[in-house]
Amino acid sequence: MSTHKEFIRGLVAAIPIMISFIPFSLVLGAQAIQRGMATGEISLMVAMNFAGGSEFVAVNLWTSPPHLLLLAFMTLLVNSRHILMGAALTPYLQGLPKKKVLLALFFMCDESWAMSFADAKKSTNQRFNYHYYIGASLGLYLTWVIFTTIGALVGPLIGDVTHYGFDMAFVAVFLVLLKGMWKGVVAAIPWLVSLIVAVVSYLILPGAWYVLCGAIAGLIVAFIMAHYD
Amino acid sequence: MIDYFVFFTILAMATVTYLTRITGYLLLHNKVLNPRLGKVLEAIPGCVLIAVIAPAFATTNIANLLALAITLLLASRFSLLPTVIISIAVTALLRHYIPY
Repeated sequence: MSTHKEFIRGLVAAIPIMISFIPFSLVLGAQAIQRGMATGEISLMVAMNFAGGSEFVAVNLWTSPPHLLLLAFMTLLVNSRHILMGAALTPYLQGLPKKKVLLALFFMCDESWAMSFADAKKSTNQRFNYHYYIGASLGLYLTWVIFTTIGALVGPLIGDVTHYGFDMAFVAVFLVLLKGMWKGVVAAIPWLVSLIVAVVSYLILPGAWYVLCGAIAGLIVAFIMAHYD
Repeated sequence: MIDYFVFFTILAMATVTYLTRITGYLLLHNKVLNPRLGKVLEAIPGCVLIAVIAPAFATTNIANLLALAITLLLASRFSLLPTVIISIAVTALLRHYIPY
């Protein structure tokens, strides 16, 4: 299929996720203004980071002047899962030029990554489709940056939209993405361990440690299970 | 005008974020993977995704638990868009009719 068609296919596949991004980006922009950030600053932050979880953490810890080291460390903590995600994707990236991959990885978020991962596994040659990924990523990136900026501009007018059920949109997106990776009950045992450890960590530890704790616990189980295959 | 200190803070965050995105690839892209490492890499996506949404499971609120159960059911049956839309609507309704 042509690159143009693949780009459009990725963009269209990302539309439901783009819709789910809108309420969150509006809330992020509105919160940033309440914490004393300027509209240009929040726009710059989301355009350069494009990592929602860490941006919410940063906005909630924002002071004037901001605490650079604390924010950088929290960002590392929240986004450390990207290291694992990049590692998981690497076998599918063989054959793509390094420069192209390093550019593409700037846009890697949970959703675009999961979509492209699933797409690569479904494809006949088991390869990452670069243009499908760029289409999806660009749609998600622009949605995030534009609606965060709108949130900053109209912030005082919108209340807490999470009360209307929009926060469940992310859960819904992630569960559908997980369904796409379902390979049976046994293969899902590490997921269950990951979930349980993450829930417990979330309840007893401050901040964003739960992502790292949950993911690592699941991977330890996967490592042990691989031994018995 | 953006304050210089704010700019450098944002730059530091962005640098850290980008490094997390490329590290996995830079470490593994010219390696031959042994099968066991391959198995662990296979498990990463599910473990990461489910850990990210774990806070939704850490609730005792009846409306939220019901909404989560229905969202799970929807996700197992439908594609992305209907799941997202019905899930939002169901969650909003449940929270409205089942207060704390």
